[in-house]
Amino acid sequence: MTSPTRATRARAGATTAAGTRGTGQPKLRQAAPERRIENPLKEGLRLERVPDPCVIVVFGATGDLAHRKILPALYNLRRAGLLPPETSLLAYARRPYTNESYRAEMREAVSRYSRVPLEEALWDDFAAGIHYQQGDFSDPAAYRALAERIDEVDQGRGCQGNKLFYLATPPSSYTEIIENLGRAGLQREGRGGNWARIVVEKPFGHDLDSAGRLNLEVTSVFSESQVYRIDHYLGKETVRNLMVFRFGNGIFEPIWNRRYVDHVQITVAEDLGVEERGSFYEEAGAARDILQNHMLQLLSLVAMEPPIAFEADALRDEKVRVLRAVDPDWDEERVRHDVVRAQYGPGWVGGAAVPGYRDEAEVARDSTTETFVALKLEVQNWRWADVPFYLRTGKRLPKRATEIAVQFKRPPLMLFRESVSEPEPNLLALRIQPDEGILLRFAAKVPELGLDVRSVNMDFTYGTSFTTDAPEAYETLLLDAMLGDASLFTRADEVEAAWGIVTPILVGWAEADAEEAGSDLARYEAGSWGPESADRLIERDGRRWRRL
Amino acid sequence: MELLTPQPAGAHGRRWTARASSVAGIEAELARIWSSVADEMGSSGHSRRELAEARGSPQLTGRLDESRDVRVRTRTSVLTLVVVAPRPETTERALDAINLLASRHPSRAIVVAPGDPDGPSTLDAQIFAQCHLAERGTSETCTEQILLRTGGEIDAHLRNVVAPLLIHDLPVVIWWPDDPPIGSRQFSDLVELCDRLLVDSGAFRDDGTRRLSALAAVVSGPTPIVYDIGWMRLTLWRELLAGLFEHPLLTPELEQVQGLRIDVARPGELFRLTKAACFTGWLADRLDWELVRTAERRRGSESLFATYRQGRHDVRVELRPVSTDGDRALRSAGSLVRVELTLGRRGHDLRARVARQADHLLATADWDGAQVARRAGRLEPFGEAPFLAEALHSGGKDRIFEGALARATRLLGG
Repeated sequence: MTSPTRATRARAGATTAAGTRGTGQPKLRQAAPERRIENPLKEGLRLERVPDPCVIVVFGATGDLAHRKILPALYNLRRAGLLPPETSLLAYARRPYTNESYRAEMREAVSRYSRVPLEEALWDDFAAGIHYQQGDFSDPAAYRALAERIDEVDQGRGCQGNKLFYLATPPSSYTEIIENLGRAGLQREGRGGNWARIVVEKPFGHDLDSAGRLNLEVTSVFSESQVYRIDHYLGKETVRNLMVFRFGNGIFEPIWNRRYVDHVQITVAEDLGVEERGSFYEEAGAARDILQNHMLQLLSLVAMEPPIAFEADALRDEKVRVLRAVDPDWDEERVRHDVVRAQYGPGWVGGAAVPGYRDEAEVARDSTTETFVALKLEVQNWRWADVPFYLRTGKRLPKRATEIAVQFKRPPLMLFRESVSEPEPNLLALRIQPDEGILLRFAAKVPELGLDVRSVNMDFTYGTSFTTDAPEAYETLLLDAMLGDASLFTRADEVEAAWGIVTPILVGWAEADAEEAGSDLARYEAGSWGPESADRLIERDGRRWRRL
Repeated sequence: MELLTPQPAGAHGRRWTARASSVAGIEAELARIWSSVADEMGSSGHSRRELAEARGSPQLTGRLDESRDVRVRTRTSVLTLVVVAPRPETTERALDAINLLASRHPSRAIVVAPGDPDGPSTLDAQIFAQCHLAERGTSETCTEQILLRTGGEIDAHLRNVVAPLLIHDLPVVIWWPDDPPIGSRQFSDLVELCDRLLVDSGAFRDDGTRRLSALAAVVSGPTPIVYDIGWMRLTLWRELLAGLFEHPLLTPELEQVQGLRIDVARPGELFRLTKAACFTGWLADRLDWELVRTAERRRGSESLFATYRQGRHDVRVELRPVSTDGDRALRSAGSLVRVELTLGRRGHDLRARVARQADHLLATADWDGAQVARRAGRLEPFGEAPFLAEALHSGGKDRIFEGALARATRLLGG
């Protein structure tokens, strides 16, 4: 982060100070001066990472996300001294609560879900900034009342006119909320530098068309720079580390291309089933739930070119370029050939018998929703042409594991003919969860008289080198949104480019279902690594899935 | 003279101890400890059970390599920490702090306790190794501590005792509590070995002026990176004062400082100036004040007075000793009690202050007598462990500290 030099700071100070010549008693809550001067004292202090105070308006504030993630994240930010004391929360939802009853419920939620225990004194101070406003999402009059309430909270607590809207509602409410915010003029930013931003939760659309429509609706009210689309995967410490690993080290970049890399495997495996989310999952499936967002994000981070700056748009420009380079001719034929969908049947996971997907609650008995997807993609640019990327994700796999494995080419000549076993090619695995770390596999001589070569692993585990608590993804993301840093949020074109890859797959499946429901849907036993057809997908290229 | 016994070390780990009387002996004992740790994980029934458990655990199966090996105990070090602690009570304090941090900042810790330089030449080393189970239970990190008591001629050659015990190619941090003889040969010899140095200017002898300017000379060199607990204790003071000026209407006022008064705790006779000077130095550096008159005592006053120039006007500084008898929190000479900035020249009066109130600091800004901003923050407990953790954790040079320290020594006439 660069800060202005002392000379420019002093100049800016002189001009602005003259412009706001004091008039006796100041009204410190009046509009801020037109140009902000940097406070020279805050350099090197935590204050540099402290955003402007603001009113955070949470729509759907009585829902699960607010309880589990948003409130605990805000509380922890406050505890870490990263939220100014003026920052306030205005909870907006349909249910009848008072400030007091809402605070009491949130106190429960925070003490249950926060990663650190709740401190009474701190909570009291934090809770004083929590307010509840009852209202309907579709009633324009309610938004006028909301606008008044925002002003009242802002004036009362000194939030300097800054607003952060958070859509923590089901996606079906997004459109009406955004329209109504626009009608009430709440998206407007003041000339004094005060801002209004909106955070939108995934899923962002359910195919290319709906994502395009939603983008249009959002941007007809807010400008793109005000919109922060959350994919919480991007807030995870290890995902952020991917960029540091690639661009903060000099030795990997030269071999990070088609000349040295044989192929890349990305795995997002879950041991859980659909739990209580059956009806949601019936609509979504693995392609919408994981592939379109998390997996393609990981793909673009692994494959992207170095951005010209570590800055939101430069970063997202490069990510979009990767997604656009994914198989321009991705047609029906290719979908049939290179994509496997499957659904889990009954089986055993972690020593317990579990039902098949069609026997889960709220799931249709003849459901064709996929709980597993495996596919092969190619990124057609100079760096990656002819390097296949194999992606797989599924529920009820043997364990929870997210990993990116870059497998390198074999040495051109195998010199050690006496060796009984041929060593595996070099491999670099970036483990994202659990047990975050980086693993490098290379060949070593077995210590004995002969010359036997075997693969060994050099394994770096984050936990043993850095034992500080990593922040929750939502803490990182909420703080970034308040600071106006959109690097870890997805841009409209990025969302659409990702849907551009997934939509043809969905269309292909729909067509297959139209002919004969589930004709191409493979089945796998819960607790296995997916159907045989997924193995064949990679084995026909002479490769195999990494054993995790 | 050796003894090798595994023993329980609390709920989460195991501990081994040994003793040696030469550098070669220390190395041999460490090697023995680690091979016995490895044996224990080898083929005994106990370890097979652990292996089986490990293989069954989803977190560990991912770490099985091709040869079905599983490494459960990892000896981990991210740095070597050397503590120089001549006084027995300092040795205790240092060991406590290290133990507190062992699992969070795995390191080889060498505590050097030089004794009587005129006595017989002695070297007595106690070696401890311990393994902590990580909180999430997936792996164990094992760390080492060596307590070296020396005496006689060896005291003058500590560097040659410590150097062979450093871990290859890892950063070396030296923590020299109390009043390090900065500038002496013993000091320079040892400090040459390290990448980072942690001292506490708040404990420097007398009023601290001499040591502070010697420290500034160390800081201005390329290595080591210096951390000062005295300075780190000022962070909350700086943060609260800076926070008052975050409001866009108050920021420009920083161009118009008229005066600064700092009240400094003086529980006995000693008027220690290091913290107040560093705080003033920080403001001078950040706000571009030029020193006009160094800090001097005036007739009839116990305070020190200095003058700076900011643009075209003067900034008058007073460092005032206040008696703090009876206040337990303020038993340390030189702690700040209160800081007050007077600002505003255009017909209004702005005062920004930060004051100590029990275990809190309270910051307020008054505009013509009416309070316009208020912030509070809780002071950290007195222990040194958090500061040691910070020195172990962070990497780069602190430019703000360097600027503040350079100005502080000039203020005191160094």
